[in-house]
Amino acid sequence: MNWTAYIRQKMGVLFSMDTWLPTELPEYAMGLMYTLGSLTASSFVILVLSGIIMAANGPQWWTISSIGFYLRGIHFWAVQAFFFFMILHLLRVFFSGAWRGGRERTWMLGTLALLVAIPTAFTGYLMRGDFYSQWNAVQSKDGLNALGFAWLNPLNAGQMYGLHVVVMPIILGTIIAIHIAFIRIKGVVPPYPSHEELEEILNKEVP
Amino acid sequence: MRHYHPRVDVTHRYRYVPADFVKHLMGTTLVVAVLTAVLSGVFHEPVRPALKINTYATTHPKEFLTVALGDLNGTGTIANYGPPYNHGTGSVQDFVQKWIGVIHPVYPREDFVLKPLGYAAHLNPGLAPALKQFTHASSAQQRRWEKAFGGSLKQARVQGSQVLLPSGAYGPVGTMMQGLLELGQSGLMAGALNRSPADYQFDNQNALLFLQGSPLHNAAKKLELEGNQWGIIHEERAPYPGPWWMTIVTAIYQIPFIANASAADALALGSGMVIFLVLMLAPWIPGINRLPRLLGVHRVIWRKFYATHQPDPVDISHSS
Repeated sequence: MNWTAYIRQKMGVLFSMDTWLPTELPEYAMGLMYTLGSLTASSFVILVLSGIIMAANGPQWWTISSIGFYLRGIHFWAVQAFFFFMILHLLRVFFSGAWRGGRERTWMLGTLALLVAIPTAFTGYLMRGDFYSQWNAVQSKDGLNALGFAWLNPLNAGQMYGLHVVVMPIILGTIIAIHIAFIRIKGVVPPYPSHEELEEILNKEVP
Repeated sequence: MRHYHPRVDVTHRYRYVPADFVKHLMGTTLVVAVLTAVLSGVFHEPVRPALKINTYATTHPKEFLTVALGDLNGTGTIANYGPPYNHGTGSVQDFVQKWIGVIHPVYPREDFVLKPLGYAAHLNPGLAPALKQFTHASSAQQRRWEKAFGGSLKQARVQGSQVLLPSGAYGPVGTMMQGLLELGQSGLMAGALNRSPADYQFDNQNALLFLQGSPLHNAAKKLELEGNQWGIIHEERAPYPGPWWMTIVTAIYQIPFIANASAADALALGSGMVIFLVLMLAPWIPGINRLPRLLGVHRVIWRKFYATHQPDPVDISHSS
């Protein structure tokens, strides 16, 4: 297969309705435990939507206008929801051994999303413009400076604003999108197989 | 050892049931939208008003002058900080910090005191002669004035927002510092501090660095926001939730060996990164990658499935 055909085939799978909006799911992937990832993704959607409205109105709107302040409250509780559901989702997939069956990349991207979400949220805390922003800015600078990340200047509100509303959400959103694509393409990890099933399959392979 | 089998841990071995994923996603988004809209309506977001220089200079005039004197005589934290602000050594934690160099130059003597006083002198002509006398004096003479001012400041009395200094051989420094206090109380000091080479201002660096020592630390201590008070994850107004997702790194800061180290931040954040790598690389770490089966929580997750299909689940890595 030449490379253009290869890409066409892969893209066909990646952008198909069956990948993103399936009409059937494995019977074991049902119930509340299997809504935690979606609830995390939905929290991200609410964060992006409330964030776009706030960004469109400028960085002081959410402090001085009552509608802006309400939007900022939604953004605040959405980030709490995002991490809450993300951690529950993380626990569910960990206890399922969800990296089995060649799903290691999916797991890695999920943990990477958690790692990237932390500075994404942190730069948001710096945008509140209150004591919490001031204190976090001066406290975090020492760690960043010590680790050689001094070009990331938490005291520079303009730089932090750009990181929070453009750079970090794009990175995080991309990681989440690839993570979801892997889940959909590979399928949700099945339960641990029984002894009988295992014997049957392994015996077939090694007579 | 094999951790999975290409023909075991695959979805197509299982029965599929009809599911409306569009409805599922709409449902979860609606749940979060309603939840956050209600929580914001009822609780809003907590706000703790920012510490402003003019408020601090008015309520803590003596402390304000102590901070400013540290900036002038070079004993302040930022004056001694080191890279990326200047060539000091006081806050250099490791070689990487040194290697990055001075990329956000801040020299508190000039940037926090002499330059703002220069702007203030346009509005308060009485300041200009004192400033001229100070800048034209020898550095030894400047040191003597600064030292004398420091001695007098310790014995100064505070009356309202005024600092009444006993007389001393501090030459022009007394006038300068009183001028700086007035500038601080006027509300113009943050503007005088935050001056970047660009015309537009998006950068609060110098105003925050001016406040970063005792002004912000004392305020934070009262709110239990300091690092050794688990401050990273505290919301400033209980019972609101804080950024609890940083609990692990906050816990690392409480370990005495790390908290008392001169490179505390580098050690704490470095250790946090190691813990993260263990989590990220769990599928490949022997022991951890089998933990889920041993812990048996999966029996709860797939309770219904196991009950009807397979009473005795095992881990493929165990048998192959």
